This record gives sequence, C-alpha cells and structure tokens, in this order.
Amino acid sequence: MLDGPVFGVLLDPLAAVMLLVATVIGFFTVLYSTHYLRERNREHATGHAGQARYYFWLLLFLASMVGVAVSPNFLQLLIFWELTTLCSWALISFYQDERSLRAGFKALLMTQGGGAFFLVAVLILFASAGSFEFTALARLPDSLRLVVFVMLMIAAWAKAAQVPFHTWLPDAMAAPTPISAYLHAAAMVKAGVYLMARSVSSGWAVPPTGAIALGVMALLTMFIALSYYFVQDDLKRLLAYSTIAHLGYVLLGLAVGGLGSIIAFRGGVLHIACHGFAKATLFFCAGALAYVTGTRSIAGLGGAARSMPLTATAYFVGVLAVTGVPPFACFWSKFMILSGAMQLGGAIGPVVLVLVLVESLISFAWMLYVGQKMFLGSVTPAAAVHSDPPAAMSGVLVVLIIFCLLAPAIAMPLVLGIGR
Amino acid sequence: MATAFIVQLSGLLLAIGAVASLATARRRRLAGGIATAFVAGFSALAWLLVVRTFTVGPEPEVTLTALPWLGAGLTLAVDRLSAFFLAVVATVAFLATLYSIDYMTHYRRDGVAKFYPVLLVFFGATAAVLVVRDFFFFLVAWELMTLTGFFLVVFERESRISQRAGLKYFIITHAATLCMLAAVLVLWSRSGSFHFAALRNALGDLLAGQPLLGHVVLLLFFLAFATKAGVLPMGDWLPDAHPVAPSGMSATLSGALVKIGIYGLVRVFVSFLPVEQGAATWGAVLALAGTGSLFVGSLTALRQHDSKRLLAFSTIEQIGYVVLGLGVGVAVLPSNPTLAALAFVGALFHVANHACFKSCLFLGAGAVLYRTGERDLDRLGGIGASMRVTAGSSTVAALAIAGVPPLNGFASKWLIVCSCILAGLRFPLYLVLGLVALFVSLVTLAIYLQVLGSLFLGTPRASAKVREVPNTMAAPQVVLAALCVVLGVVPFAVLAPLRDAVAAITPVAVPDAAALFSGLAGLAVSVNGEPVAFWAPLALVGGIVILGVLARLLARAGGAEVRSVPVWYCGEEHDSEEVRVPASTLFLPFKRAFEGIYPRLKLVPPPFPGWLRRVFEVDNWLYLPAVRLIDRGAKGVSRTHVGIPQVYLLWIVVGAVAVVGIILTLVR
Repeated sequence: MLDGPVFGVLLDPLAAVMLLVATVIGFFTVLYSTHYLRERNREHATGHAGQARYYFWLLLFLASMVGVAVSPNFLQLLIFWELTTLCSWALISFYQDERSLRAGFKALLMTQGGGAFFLVAVLILFASAGSFEFTALARLPDSLRLVVFVMLMIAAWAKAAQVPFHTWLPDAMAAPTPISAYLHAAAMVKAGVYLMARSVSSGWAVPPTGAIALGVMALLTMFIALSYYFVQDDLKRLLAYSTIAHLGYVLLGLAVGGLGSIIAFRGGVLHIACHGFAKATLFFCAGALAYVTGTRSIAGLGGAARSMPLTATAYFVGVLAVTGVPPFACFWSKFMILSGAMQLGGAIGPVVLVLVLVESLISFAWMLYVGQKMFLGSVTPAAAVHSDPPAAMSGVLVVLIIFCLLAPAIAMPLVLGIGR
Repeated sequence: MATAFIVQLSGLLLAIGAVASLATARRRRLAGGIATAFVAGFSALAWLLVVRTFTVGPEPEVTLTALPWLGAGLTLAVDRLSAFFLAVVATVAFLATLYSIDYMTHYRRDGVAKFYPVLLVFFGATAAVLVVRDFFFFLVAWELMTLTGFFLVVFERESRISQRAGLKYFIITHAATLCMLAAVLVLWSRSGSFHFAALRNALGDLLAGQPLLGHVVLLLFFLAFATKAGVLPMGDWLPDAHPVAPSGMSATLSGALVKIGIYGLVRVFVSFLPVEQGAATWGAVLALAGTGSLFVGSLTALRQHDSKRLLAFSTIEQIGYVVLGLGVGVAVLPSNPTLAALAFVGALFHVANHACFKSCLFLGAGAVLYRTGERDLDRLGGIGASMRVTAGSSTVAALAIAGVPPLNGFASKWLIVCSCILAGLRFPLYLVLGLVALFVSLVTLAIYLQVLGSLFLGTPRASAKVREVPNTMAAPQVVLAALCVVLGVVPFAVLAPLRDAVAAITPVAVPDAAALFSGLAGLAVSVNGEPVAFWAPLALVGGIVILGVLARLLARAGGAEVRSVPVWYCGEEHDSEEVRVPASTLFLPFKRAFEGIYPRLKLVPPPFPGWLRRVFEVDNWLYLPAVRLIDRGAKGVSRTHVGIPQVYLLWIVVGAVAVVGIILTLVR
C-alpha cells in the first residue's frame, strides 16, 4: 500500500542546508554551554545537579533536528517534529521556576496545537493519495491540496512563531541562553520553516492562493514583530522578536518561490542558514553579557565594550549580519528574496521591495542604537566588569564572527542545488 | 590582465596591513607605521594604475567571479573617470595615514586596534567602489565603505556626541544605500544583469517606455549618491560625523568619501542618462540642489565656532559647487557638448582641488587640536607664531578654498561659474545660479578670514604655549598646500587628463583638450570659436613676483626700519584678552540676517496607537480566553466525578445500553 519506506534518510540540498545549520550551530551551542552552565555565571549559577538533565535534552534536541532534516517523508518529519517540541518544552523550563515552567508549557501547548493540524494534514494526505511522500502533495486534487497546504502552513506558523501564534517565543526566553540561541538559530522554529520549504519544493505545486496567504502573513509578521522592538528592555526578548521577523523573511522567500521565482526560494532557504549563524552570534553575545554582568537589561548596560571588546565586536558584526548590511550574511539572502520578488513582475515586486526595505532600515537603526547603548558610551555600574567571558565562550564568538561573513559562501553551493 | 592583477595585489596589501596593524595595535606608533607602509604600497599601485590608464589607455574589463544565476559578476575595469577618483583617494589615503601615526598617540582611552585595521578596510572598499563594473558588487563595496566609516566616526567610544553622530551617519547613509538597492533592482528586473552597461540600457528603455518609473529610479539614485556626497538636506549627517572622527579620518571623509558620492552621480547622470530623455530636468535638479547646498552650507559654516564643524559645513558648500557644475553640464549636454565638457571638467577639477585644500584644512585643525586640545575658535588664538608650518599650509589652503587667485580653488570655481553664465545665455536659470555661486565665494572668504584670524593671528595666549607638530604630521599638510599652489598655477596639467576622463563617459563626443583650453598660457573659454573668457595664472604669478621683488627693492632702497612695538589701543592699556575679537562676534549683523537658514528639526516618533497594541497582544484576547474556556469545560467534566461507586456503576450500565443499542442499529 505504501509507495516507499516509512523511515529513511533523504539527503538533498535542502536537507543539507538544514543539517549544516542544525549540526554546526548545535556543536557550538554544546561547546558554549560547557562554560555557560557554571557556578560563576552571574545571571544563573548552575551547579552539577542540573547538568545531566540539560545535556540529555540538548543532545536529544540535536538528534531530533537531524531527524527532521533528513526525513524522506511527512510521517517521519512529523515524528521528529513532535520530538523537537518535547525537547524544547523540557529545555525552556530548565530552571524550573514559575516563569520558565509557564513559558515551557505555553510553548508546548501552542506548538502542539499547531502539530495537531500537521497530523490531520498527513492523515488526509495518506487517505487521499495513499502515501506519506513529500511528492504526494502534488498528486492531490486542487481543492484538497489547498486544504492540506493551509493545515501544514498553520502547523509551520505555530512552530515558527508567526502571527498569530508568535507569543510563545518571547516567553521562551526564560530558557538558558545557549538554548535560546539554538532554539532560534537552528532548531525548533527553523523546523517550522523547513516544513514549509519541503511542502513548497516537493513538486512545486503550491496553490497560488496558499502562497499568497503565506507571503502576506509573512509581511504582516515582520511588521508586527518590528512594532515590539521599541518597548523591549530585555535584550533576549528583543532578539526573539527579531527572530520572528526573520522567520517571516524566510517564509516570504518561500512564498515568492511558490509563486514561481526560484531565486526567491533559494534566498529563503539561504536565509535559514544566514539568519541561523547571525542570530546565534547575537544570542551568544547576550549570553556573554549575562554571564559576565548578571543582567540582560538594555537600559542597565552601557560602555561594555571597554571591558568586553570581543563581545562588542561580535554583537556589531551580528547586527550588521542579521539586518542585511552588505557584505555580511543576511544581505545575500535578503537580496535574493527581493530580486526574486522583482522577477515576478506586476505589483508584487515593488510592494514587497518597499515593505522589506522599510522593515530592514527600521530594524537596522534600532538594533544599532541598542548596540551603541549597551557597548559604547560611558560605562555604567552594571557593565564595570573585568573581561570577556571564558575561552570556550569567546572562542565560539570568534568562530561565529567568521561565519557571519562566510555563511553565504558555504551555503550558496547547496542552495543553488535546489532547483525545479 | 594587468589591471586585475594590480587591483588584487593592492587589495591583498591592505588586507595584510589590516591584520598586521591589528596584531601590533598595543604599540600605537608601530601599528601606525605598519599601516602607513601598507597604505603607501596601495597608493603607489593605485597611482601606477592611474598613470597606465591615462597614458596607455584603459584595459578591457576582467570578470573575476561570476554569479550567472543572478546575472552578477565581480567585473573589474578602470576607465579614466575611475582612475581620476582613484588618484584622489590614493593621495588622500596615504597622507591621512601618515598624519595619523603621531596624531593617534594623543587618544588616551581609545586604542588604535579599532582605527588602523578599519581604516585600511575602508580604503580598500573605497577603491573597490571605483573599480567594479557591476552594481551588485558595487553595492557590497559601497556599504562596506559606509560601515567601516561608521566605526571610524564612533572611534571615541565614551563621547556621547561621537555616538550620536555615528548613529545618524549610519542610519541616513544606510537609507540611501537601500534607495540605491531599490533602483538597481527595478532596473535588474528588466535587464537580468547587474552589469553597468546592461543597467544603462535598461534605464534607457525604461525612460522611453515608462517615463514615470524611470524618473523614480533616477530619483532613488539621486537620493543615494547625493546623501553620500553631502548635498543638503540629505547631507545633514555630514556636519555631525566629520568633526568627531579622528582628524586623519575627517580629512579622508571630506577628501575622499564624499567624492565617491560625486563619482556615483557622474556615473549615473552623465554616463547612464540618455541625452534625449530627462537631461534637462535632471540637470536643473542637480544644479538647484547644488546651489541650495552651497548657499545654506556657506552661511551655516560662517556661524560655527567649532573649527572642524565649520570645515564640515564648508565641505557641504564646496560639494554644492561640484554638483552645480555637474548639473549645468548634464543640462546642456544635448544642446552644447563643448559647454557641457567645460562644466564637467570644472566640476571634476573642483573635486580634486577640494580634496587638496579641505584635507589640508582638516589636518591643520587636527594639528591645532593635537597641540592645544581645543576646537573652539573663540578660545584659540595667536598660535601662528609657534606653529608656523601648520599656519602657513592652512593659510594657503584657506585662500585656495576661498577662491583667491592664483590658487587652485579659483581656477575650478572660475570654470564652473563661467559655464553657468554661458549656459545662462540660453537658460536664464543657470545665470541666476552662477551669480549666487559667485557671491557665495565671498562668504567663503569671510569664513576663512575668520578661521585664520582667530586661530593663528593675534597675540598668543598665556595658555597657548605650543610647539609645531611632529614632522609626520607637518609633511602631509605641506604636500597638500603645495598641491593647492601647483594645481592653481598650472591647471592645464590636470585639465587635459580631466577632459579625457569626461570624454570617456559622455554619450556624445566632446571636443579635445586643445580646443577647450588654450595651453600653458592659460585657460581660454570660447563659444563658437570666439574666446569669451580668459584666465592666465602664470602671468599673474609673474606679476606678483615682480611686484614683490620691486617692493623689496624699494624697502631696501628707502632704508625702511622694521620695529616691533606693542599694539596701540588709542592710548589706553588693555589686557590682550580683553581686546580680542572672538570668531563668533565677527560678521554679526550678517549672521543674524540668516539665523534660521539651517533649521534644527526635532524628530518625534509617532505615538503607537493603543488599540493596535491591544490587537497585537494576541495572548490577551485569543489564547487566555481559549485556555480559560477549556479549563472551565474540564471543570464541568470533573463535576461528574462524584466519588460514589453506585453512580459510576449507573454510568457503566447506561454506557453499555448505549453501545449495544448502536451496534444493533448498525448491524440491522
């Protein structure tokens, strides 16, 4: 009855991009954690007690992301997808205080709710096409395909924290910072956009209505997330909203790709990698600041570059990379998304162009302002510390600075392999 | 091939230099020396390229990396226009770095690790902007230049003013870059390639087919490049950012960075714009923007008493002259290529001249800052006696910028004003603009008399016991001042290459240099073969020399005695401090008359509507109610759990009956 094996490994360019992000950033997350979870951490001193639990869930998280990336069909993808939800629930509530327990439960509830749609979509697919294969989506009749696509889209929105399911992600900042970094840069939320990339690219049979809905919601998400930037005092929450906006970029690229522009689709996939490395850099900076100063408050920090030059450099490189200032990472992917949109012709291109550029400029201005506020200027008492974080954490920052420049060069050959 | 090789080699030199100066950054002078050595290598290679391009001629372009799926490629080529700007950048870069070796030692709290490496990358990016022939990589290099510029502007980490200026600079210029990106993408969506030639054709087609969109694209390009060039009002970042950078960098910003904006304007509005469509309109726009800039810039500069801020406003003014010249050229290009060539050459000549005198003035202001720690003109005075080299070169540069013959500023302004007036014979608008430019020159003179007077003249202050700056800081100033004289006295030496640079990019043929100017004897501007204006610097210099010698001879013949006496204050005795005239009190009625010319806008972010915020808080109106509803439902269900076994048994019986009933109905 099944037209292929239920479990297996699929390694195509798209999977390779996801694997690259999940494993490389995963490695750096683990390396970073070895020093972050210490007694000397001024924000959250962690003794030996929690470590076993922490690494168990983190490594399982990594493994399940690898599972998501190499899944050859929707069923296996669903299984590993739910496994990532479980791991993120455990890791978000790691500190086990009131706030993190609530945040973990919220994340679980919302992504699980989205996951239910995924389950139903897979069941419909199987009932109607008799297969779990990605390509089966293209074999569905038009109306049913739209239904299945919309359900998958809702699942992806919930997982990738898109409007209107975006509220769990900022709360999930209660997690230890390396977890936040991994969650944002490489895992969990990226699983959501990865599902969309799979659905769009398998058979390239996305109903235009679905693609337009995806694109419109992506643009809406970008601006709603942007509107939250200006009221954040917690650096990690600011970064969380930036992640929401950037997943919007990925989905925008995929949507334009679904409408027929392969450059935009490739740009969207490239953005997974570029944003991954850039955002990981920023989160590790936030972690370094919290580790050394004990605070994540933007208002409380000032002049930190004096004692933490490396962290300051990494933050500025991360900001330039994430907001798409050439020649850093996200410029390349954003540019591809925009040029893809312009290729479509008609009104879509200019509208997307103007909206994206406005969003880029405002977010760039704000992130730069926040960076200046925290790292430059006169030194505040909170930032009067001695040095950059310990070697393992600093080393990760140095490597990621390099990745912020090289990520497009590494991922581009893979991305170019994605084709019709 | 040689071009590509030289370009790559100089890029490699700068990269190695950046790493080497980073590695040695703990020793300031050593890092500075290393940086200077590598920049010297870069400048030498750049000049080699310039000389080759002007003598042998430009080589065909070379594509290093191609991205065929995007229609982009790292294509390099140096034509004469690029070569001219490259020469300006290379010269200023070397002198500014040499100057910085000693200058950077006076920053106590900021290390040079964030200066030299960034400076070298900045030079590399600036040169890259000039040599790429593909707008995608142009954008990359352009923004790399902008962002390294940002880190140089915010160099003084703990100064709030630097931080604010840097933020303003980066946000405004990044917005400009995004304008350019939009313009380029619109053209690319029609051509499918980012190559200059392809985009040029796409612009021509667009202007012919959809003129409105075409003009929007041109407007975006104008905004992008004029912002970088410092044309008001987009150039509002410039007076904040230029003064706060270290002086070597200020000189580079004013001498090189703003010129790249001019390069962009020339590329797009001279070489891209088809002569039939839109030349008249955009020429007028450029000329009006330039005149506005030079008018507002000069009058605002007059009101400043911070030496470096004053110089920054003066940059806005001088760039105004350049843009005015360009505008006139673009406007008359279809009807009168000869006059257009004259205007373009004048504008480009002014670019080179401005690089000389403004860099020199910034270095001079930096030298004063280095020795006195002071930028406020009102609190300085009388240091000319002790800093003779600085005072001398600044004086030459100041006279040159004010357009005093026979210095270089006069020659280029003369060309620009000439072409304005000649163009004004057909389009009266340009006559008016030319006259405005002519009279603003007078304001420039006032500005610099004020600067020279309050910095160098007067009795030295007790606190102002200063020494001359070290040789590495004095030499660049002397070189630049000497250039001001040389370019003024023998302008023909550069005008012929400049004419070639213009001829390389204009879509219509322009007359050769001999027809435009009449050789070493001087500059003659002719209309239809009839000379209408003439300027002979060599004759003037000869006259000045003869008069000087005569005066000297007369003084000696008469046996005049030179005495040193105290200043006579009408018989009263005054402390020299009391009778000093501070800079801010000069020209007061004039300054008051133009008080509001540079309005200070205070941007207030619009309040975020409360109802929208409530709509965005999805948690409050969607999830929490939903969760509460589920919670309440669950409570309702739990109420059936009463804990009495009999009731549970009853439920089981009811359930069994129901199940049996359903099965029976289904089976039947």
